[in-house]
Amino acid sequence: MLRITGVSKTFYPGTANERVALNNVSLHLDEGDFVTIIGSNGAGKSTLLNIISGTLSVDEGSVVIDGKDVTKHSEYRRASGIARVFQDPSAGTAPHLSIEENLAVALNRGKRHTLARGLTKARREDFRTHLATLEQGLENRMKHRVGLLSGGQRQALSLLMASFTHPRLLLLDEHTAALDPERAELVLKLTAQKVGEQGLTALMVTHNMDHALRMGNRLLMMHEGRIVHTLNAEEKANAAITDLLELFSREKGSLSDRTLLS
Amino acid sequence: MLGAIDQGLITALLALGVFLTFRILNFADLTVDGSFATGTATAAVIIFNGGSPVVATLAGLIAGALAGLVTGFLHTKAHIDPLLSSILVMLALYTVNTRILWMAGSDGRRPSTVALLNKEHIFTWLIKAGLRGSATSILFIGVIVIVVLLIVNWFLSTKFGLAIMATGDNPAMASAMGISTDYTKIVTLMVSNGLVGMAGAMWAQYNGNAAVGDGTGLILVGLASVILGNAIFGTRYVWLMTIGVVVGAVLYRLAIYWALRSPFLDASDMKFFSATLVVIALVLSQWKGAQALVTKLSPWRPKEDTPEPMASVPNQFSPFAEVDGAHQSVSRKPGHATPTEQTERAQ
Repeated sequence: MLRITGVSKTFYPGTANERVALNNVSLHLDEGDFVTIIGSNGAGKSTLLNIISGTLSVDEGSVVIDGKDVTKHSEYRRASGIARVFQDPSAGTAPHLSIEENLAVALNRGKRHTLARGLTKARREDFRTHLATLEQGLENRMKHRVGLLSGGQRQALSLLMASFTHPRLLLLDEHTAALDPERAELVLKLTAQKVGEQGLTALMVTHNMDHALRMGNRLLMMHEGRIVHTLNAEEKANAAITDLLELFSREKGSLSDRTLLS
Repeated sequence: MLGAIDQGLITALLALGVFLTFRILNFADLTVDGSFATGTATAAVIIFNGGSPVVATLAGLIAGALAGLVTGFLHTKAHIDPLLSSILVMLALYTVNTRILWMAGSDGRRPSTVALLNKEHIFTWLIKAGLRGSATSILFIGVIVIVVLLIVNWFLSTKFGLAIMATGDNPAMASAMGISTDYTKIVTLMVSNGLVGMAGAMWAQYNGNAAVGDGTGLILVGLASVILGNAIFGTRYVWLMTIGVVVGAVLYRLAIYWALRSPFLDASDMKFFSATLVVIALVLSQWKGAQALVTKLSPWRPKEDTPEPMASVPNQFSPFAEVDGAHQSVSRKPGHATPTEQTERAQ
């Protein structure tokens, strides 16, 4: 479904700020895979997602979705198959547009923007049913501006906007990080529900190891631009947070040893 | 005074164009000064050479749209800052407009103004009947404005219109939703400047002449109309904002008309007067007391939604975002962390 081969990305090459964000990363996702990615700051998790979505271009390597090489495609051209939820609740929605207008924009993701009516009665009814599944009472506030919603509600709406069009691939970029624990838990529950119901293929970046272990069928650990560990469903089920921490510290140690020796 | 309303209604078309770029697209487009004069020059030359008035008006629209296309191209494809790309086009258009006006000169003459005396144009029948600046002319221009107003509202309610609004509101989100923001920006700039060009074409016919300097400072007229209209009618719905813009344009023209009648002010003072008026409007719109007063004085304004606690509205880079009452009421409480702060803590 998704095949990333030998992707490298360096920011500010040739300057004092040069930073290798991704170093020869390869990754393969099958239909229905739900992969979680953890790693420290600067490990390249978000860069990886940005490269899959086309927000960033690759220095080397290729991105293939459904057998089609999209490496050179711009972000908006990939959007028909890829949906995203961002870390910042204000990033995934248009604050001055109403809830129903935001949903209408999402419904049209990757389709042609014609001069047909953006909102129809049937579409509004459809939105109402979908909004009700969030259990946030948003179905009664469809004409309200999204900028007036709380962070948690906006993130729940972002999740709905990303998932209700059955995208081929769902990218979740630390989408609960900006929320308080209670709302993060709610959004996580909704994530599991939306991904599960539709059998979506998803990639979820998180800082929260508990979330990374609870969700999905595979876990990747990234460090300094590389995927350093992969846990399959079985290993993941048997792993605890302490095991992950152990792996982390070992990785850091081995790397600093390597740096010292070189 | 009725003549001022006529003129106000013609500039309402320009103000609707400015509304599309400044309010909907969040694009500070100064092309307007140039594209208006392109509209006046194009229409005047066609009419001067015996062309059809309707064709001349539509030609003004198309000429303006082409100017918008160039600005859009400079911004999206050449990656030049919005303000700068529009200033560049505005400047270049001065030459273009001069050359268009030359086309009305015979025997190698190069006129910098073209008079439309005794030429057939869309207002000829009103002038002949002595009805220029009467209820009839207001009705005639008003109908044209209402038709344009309906078209603009229909346009914004389509899927493409929603894509434009999303582009202006949150470009990153629009892009992630599969909207080609380059395309939406270019088309909006074309529609906007097309309306401005059409306003120019009607302006030339109404006043019976076209000159190179016709558009100078008109961006301020457009801005003032948008700010004034939105302050009076609010920004709750797009259709309400567009009606506000038309009313704002007429009120602005009336204010100029009364200012001109004062013994202290001369026609040449108008640029200073306009600039001062826009500054006052911008400053007042940031002041909550003035907003409360305007809301009180305008009972027809629909109430804005009340925000939930914790709501966060990102900074709009448009200087007019503050006019919107809803955003003012979203104030940060101390101790109430913003999403970014919470992220930092989590990390």
